[in-house]
Amino acid sequence: MERPNEAKDMEVTDDADVLMARVRRQDADAFEALYDAYHRVVFGVALRILGDRSAAEDVTQTVFLKVWNTPNLFRGGNFAAWIVRVTRNRALDVVRGRNVRPEAELPESLPEDESMEEAAFARLDAERVRSALAALPPEQREPIELGFFGGVTHQEIARRSQTPLGTVKTRIRSGLRRLRSALDEAVTV
Amino acid sequence: MNQHREPPHDMFDNVAVYALGALPPAEAAAVRRHIATCDECAQEYARLKSAAALVGLSAESSVADAANCPSALLKPRIMAKIRASTVPARETAAGRRIPAWPAYLVAAACIAIAIGSSVWNVVLTGQVKQAQQELARDTQRSETLARALADERTMLSDLMGSDAKRYVQSNGEVVTRGSRAYVAMHDLPQPPRGKTYQAWTLPKGATKMVPSLTFVPDAHGVAVVALPPDARATAAVAVSVEPEGGSKQPTSKPILVVPLT
Repeated sequence: MERPNEAKDMEVTDDADVLMARVRRQDADAFEALYDAYHRVVFGVALRILGDRSAAEDVTQTVFLKVWNTPNLFRGGNFAAWIVRVTRNRALDVVRGRNVRPEAELPESLPEDESMEEAAFARLDAERVRSALAALPPEQREPIELGFFGGVTHQEIARRSQTPLGTVKTRIRSGLRRLRSALDEAVTV
Repeated sequence: MNQHREPPHDMFDNVAVYALGALPPAEAAAVRRHIATCDECAQEYARLKSAAALVGLSAESSVADAANCPSALLKPRIMAKIRASTVPARETAAGRRIPAWPAYLVAAACIAIAIGSSVWNVVLTGQVKQAQQELARDTQRSETLARALADERTMLSDLMGSDAKRYVQSNGEVVTRGSRAYVAMHDLPQPPRGKTYQAWTLPKGATKMVPSLTFVPDAHGVAVVALPPDARATAAVAVSVEPEGGSKQPTSKPILVVPLT
């Protein structure tokens, strides 16, 4: 039976690098441990983007098979953030009706310095991120969520919200900055 | 990297939108180029990209929220693929390699386990109706899978059977074992556009070929086709190139003709 998120996340994020090292050696048990730890966030992101359980399960399967087949795409850092990016890209590909994303377009593999930056958030759990996001003013939270989960451009966000483009961009930046500050505090607490 | 002490305000905004992944490709490329030459914007990007990526964490489904969790069958399905890809081929005492424990048996076993897991999930979550529907669908799928894989196992057994009769040609062979017959071809090029390969059988005592299955080779040029007619009542097997969908009688010279004795 699965354990509550927080306790589990605290352990698995520490272990993700170790587990991925074992996955690179084709260790199925290590892969299973990664699946147990991250399948809910992968499925959650896919479901939020696609709005369809079956399609979200397909994306979840695709993402985890990608982890298994090409583990070197993960170059360290925050595994959760990495797998979220992979999932978002794959789900948006499905939304756009694209079957294949050329490898050259993959933004998932970060330069080492950015990976180090993200590693600072390794101990954050979903609930804490949700709280930080919920604390943002709606005019900042909504374009961020629409941009991330909707996969639409800032112009589309401006059109849908009937807000000037410059205002949308400024709100996204302000919101991300506030989110970052809130998460910084959560990390240092 | 060059130092730009005061990047334009609009560029910082663009960096944020880029970090969120909400810039159109052309603008994204421009921001990427700018970040490569501007320390302030590179730092801003690194900070905001981390925050943007973690927005996704907010979508993680809670263990208690079964409606937003994947089916209990998903994990066995994925693990079956993973474990099937890691099981090495076994060696027989004679040194002949035979396939490792077949992937479909692993899948079938996992599906069986998954059914139990799914029921347990139902009890826990109260999602009885949904889980039952999933269970019914997956049971049906597993039965279909089992049937298909049983056929495949029979084919494998026949093709490898020491009592099978083999009629070897330069680019393939016809194999018969009891009532079953197979055409197995290798180094077979993909048929021209609009064409397909078609097998033909000649019933004993007949003078005209009877159309059988159409097929194309896989990426390695290999095709194995189980022929429906009873091999014991078949006098010959042939293969020709035909228009897609097949023909009622051969329209080209056969590339394979094998009399069965």
